[in-house]
Amino acid sequence: MAEVRYEAASRLYPGAEEPAVNKLNLDIADGELLVLVGPSGCGKSTALRMLAGLETVTSGSVHINGVDVTLKPPQDRDIAMVFQNYALYPSMTVAQNMGFALKQAKVPKAEREAQVREAARILDLTEYLDRKPKNLSGGQRQRVAMGRAIVRKPQVFLMDEPLSNLDAKLRVQTRTELVDLQARLGVTTVYVTHDQVEAMTMGDRVAVLKFGELQQVDAPRTLYSAPANKFVAGFIGSPAMNLLDAEDVDGAPGIAGAAIPLEESVLSQLKSQDLDQVAVGVRPEHLTLGTTGIEGEVTVVEELGSESFVHVTVSHRGEPTTLVVRDRGETETGRGDRVKVDFGGPIHVFGSDGLRVEA
Amino acid sequence: MTSATTSSAAAISHEEEVRRLERREGWKRRLPILPALIFTIVVTQIPFLFTLFYSLTEWRLDKPDPRKFIGVDNYASLPGDKFFRDAAWVSVQMTVMAVLFSLIVGTLLAILLDRKFFGQGLIRTLLITPFLVMPVVAGFMWKTQMFNATFGVINWVLNLFGFDSIEFATRFPLASVVVVLVWQWSPFMMLIVLAGLQGQDQSVLEAARVDGATTWGSFRQITLPQLRPFLELGTLLGAIYLIQVYDHIEVIVGGQPGAKNLPFYIAQRSIGGGNRFGLASSYSIIVVIASIIIANIGLRVLSNLLEDDS
Amino acid sequence: MALFTRAPKAEPILGQNRVVAAILGLLTWIIGLLFFFPLFWLVLNGFKEESVANASPTLVFDPTTDRFCDVTATSKWVSWFTELTNLCQPSEVTGGGLLTFSEAFSNSFWIVLISTVLVMILAVPAAYALAIRPMRKWRDVLFFFISTKFLPIVGIIMPVWIIARDLNLLGTRTVLVILYTAMNLPLAVWMLRSFFAEVPKELIEAAQIDGCSLMGQLRQVILPIVAPGLAATALLCVIFAWNEFFFAIQLNPTGASTMPVWVNAQQNFQGQFLAELSAASVLATFPVVIAGWVAQKRMIRGLAMGAIK
Ligand SMILES: Nc1ncnc2c1ncn2[C@@H]1O[C@H](COP(=O)(O)OP(=O)(O)OP(=O)(O)O)[C@@H](O)[C@H]1O
Ligand SMILES: [Mg+2]
Repeated sequence: MAEVRYEAASRLYPGAEEPAVNKLNLDIADGELLVLVGPSGCGKSTALRMLAGLETVTSGSVHINGVDVTLKPPQDRDIAMVFQNYALYPSMTVAQNMGFALKQAKVPKAEREAQVREAARILDLTEYLDRKPKNLSGGQRQRVAMGRAIVRKPQVFLMDEPLSNLDAKLRVQTRTELVDLQARLGVTTVYVTHDQVEAMTMGDRVAVLKFGELQQVDAPRTLYSAPANKFVAGFIGSPAMNLLDAEDVDGAPGIAGAAIPLEESVLSQLKSQDLDQVAVGVRPEHLTLGTTGIEGEVTVVEELGSESFVHVTVSHRGEPTTLVVRDRGETETGRGDRVKVDFGGPIHVFGSDGLRVEA
Repeated sequence: MTSATTSSAAAISHEEEVRRLERREGWKRRLPILPALIFTIVVTQIPFLFTLFYSLTEWRLDKPDPRKFIGVDNYASLPGDKFFRDAAWVSVQMTVMAVLFSLIVGTLLAILLDRKFFGQGLIRTLLITPFLVMPVVAGFMWKTQMFNATFGVINWVLNLFGFDSIEFATRFPLASVVVVLVWQWSPFMMLIVLAGLQGQDQSVLEAARVDGATTWGSFRQITLPQLRPFLELGTLLGAIYLIQVYDHIEVIVGGQPGAKNLPFYIAQRSIGGGNRFGLASSYSIIVVIASIIIANIGLRVLSNLLEDDS
Repeated sequence: MALFTRAPKAEPILGQNRVVAAILGLLTWIIGLLFFFPLFWLVLNGFKEESVANASPTLVFDPTTDRFCDVTATSKWVSWFTELTNLCQPSEVTGGGLLTFSEAFSNSFWIVLISTVLVMILAVPAAYALAIRPMRKWRDVLFFFISTKFLPIVGIIMPVWIIARDLNLLGTRTVLVILYTAMNLPLAVWMLRSFFAEVPKELIEAAQIDGCSLMGQLRQVILPIVAPGLAATALLCVIFAWNEFFFAIQLNPTGASTMPVWVNAQQNFQGQFLAELSAASVLATFPVVIAGWVAQKRMIRGLAMGAIK
């Protein structure tokens, strides 16, 4: 059990100009499941590997349970890692794979076997203990990789996209099992993914990275309802938020000729800013189709059964622009229909610096 | 104030520590290579510098005269040296013919083998065997049991059809050596081309077939370009080895003229009793230069292969 | 509708017609057998009486193993352990200056074995470093190794001979051990690197996290994966060293020399004993032929893919 702390930790790869991870400050509480998310190449894996000791921390420091581990080799950090490709030892059986770390730590054989059996029971692997990894299915391999991590009872679990090699259905199922397991074991976990749905559904808190810089760390709901900047607003949520450069409507930000309902405090903060540089965002579920509002033409309807997403092309800043509207089957629309879009929920405003303008 | 100083001091020591660790890591990475590197340099590169030096001297081991520095005189004498010219010409013919024919035969064999048929594994094994045979044995076997005028199988077949026996190794020394070289090196080329054929992207071939390409058309336009690096690799490795052929010549034609290539002649004129170390060294340098030219072209090919990977 | 026409099945380069396939299969068989025929004939001759071998070729004869016995029996088999202790001395010339079969065989055995072990000792760490923990410019180092293969032996033979003479190493097994090690080292580094490169990086990291020392990682994680590649590389070194003739005849044409020198001497001095020589050649050839058969697939992959992986 341990808390984890990054203190202005950076990693500059030899020969690179920009650090892959730049002055990362992050506090992870004991027993928390923190998800690191961001687009490909943003430095998630690097950040995780810095914690594992597989990547040198070029400046700043990393702490586990209050101890500065920045210069310690991986084996002295009491962590366990699950790799994207599982990295199972091909020449060892499932049981040997799971017991390998214990064997290195010179745990007596009987105790080792008991612990391996216990982990196998939890993960439903008992009948496969004598098999080699190449004779297992993808899902079973994933569980063995998990088993190898939990057998050690480490202070921290590190997971780098452990579900990305599973098929879609198994991924969703394993996702919930993993959250349940983590909560039961209560081990602090850092989980890396590029899939924002995975991040939102699994994380106690989610940290969003971009170009090696931390954008926001918050609970999933906060991240969704109050994104700290334009990047987070666009990255979190599926389908993505309608994020547009504002149009100047009578000196206030607007969309397609319609002023948007904003609180006075927001408007006053925008007074000093160039409206051209301001961005506004509305999530699809906060737009409605009706008899009032912005007029446009339906170009695509994505039908999901329980709901549908209607793409409406409107004229915004003189150019055709698409707004995505969630429709819960209240209206029947098809391609080519002329419809009206109205605001029905919170609207996010981002100033010229890209940061959220809070009411 | 004080806290600021301590933290910056700590930062410096941290960075020093990181640098120290990285230096150590760097040595950890380099150290394992050093023994192999040093051994290779000592045994191959340094003697080469000696050869370069010898080639600038007049030096005969059979005479008491001391070694005499004569600049490029040895090289200047080469164009007028009939023995050198003959040996060089034999080298060129032998290398070009052996590489070319074994590449052609090897490619055809690979194409034949790259299909399912009964006994495929067995035939592949039989086909690669000549490459594994000791060159001295290969030469002896062909000379006495294939080419020989009285006991040779080839002549026996010729007699069967009413032709007279021919003592191949004396009548056609160069061709005889080339035949044995091709017999030994075709399997090598075959294995390399086979690796290329089996590694090729099947989906592209299928796409071509869906698009209505003929068998020959898809071979020429898709398979052949994909095989190119393998053919080049085969040519390079083959040329590097075949330019140095010695064993076959010693066994099949021995001291007879007509098929002595440069390596054979160099050995004869120096260690083998000729004792002209200075002059023979200048021959060696010519062989090295020829190899460097081949290797340069070859290394470019290899580095292209490595680039594709990363 | 185009949507419902079936895509043609994948086929090998040459035709899909069954008759064509049968004919091509047969053709491949014939060519394969033709290629193998000279060796088959060699083996056959080894089982003949001299009088039968030294006559017009025939397939009909009474096979005898006498020739094989002659080859092995006429020679005195020295204990191989004594041989090992003698390894560094220039051997005294026995049997009126002629190398016997057993001497040549045990010389070859020891020279090949020791040089191959040395090659592996030097090449494994180098290949490990080049593949698993590459430093900057690893490509240049690899190129250097492989480029030494492009230096023709004649480019160094004279100084090597002079140096060996001055160090009193002419005619010893030691000089061949050193040269065969140098000869095979670049190839071994080249091939081994490609086998080591196949070990996933994560596997080593996982072992590190699991608290495994460097030696432990090598032994328990890396070795099981690269073992077949190591074996194939070692076998290739054995084949090249076993068959090597140029260095052997130039630097060590005497009693401490190897099988190829012996075969060459035999055929120069007693060309008329065709059957016995055939039997001897079979004995000289078959160890590496077997080795090559065993390692064929991996060997070629290591050679050809060394560049790509
Ligand atoms: N060994 C390395 N040397 C140099 N640069 C590297 C190295 N590893 C990663 N990088 C660079 O660092 C940046 C961050 O890489 P990282 O692997 O952390 O990304 P990631 O967020 O995990 O991406 P993905 O989702 O694709 O796995 C990338 O721009 C990458 O090119
Ligand atoms: Mg990653």
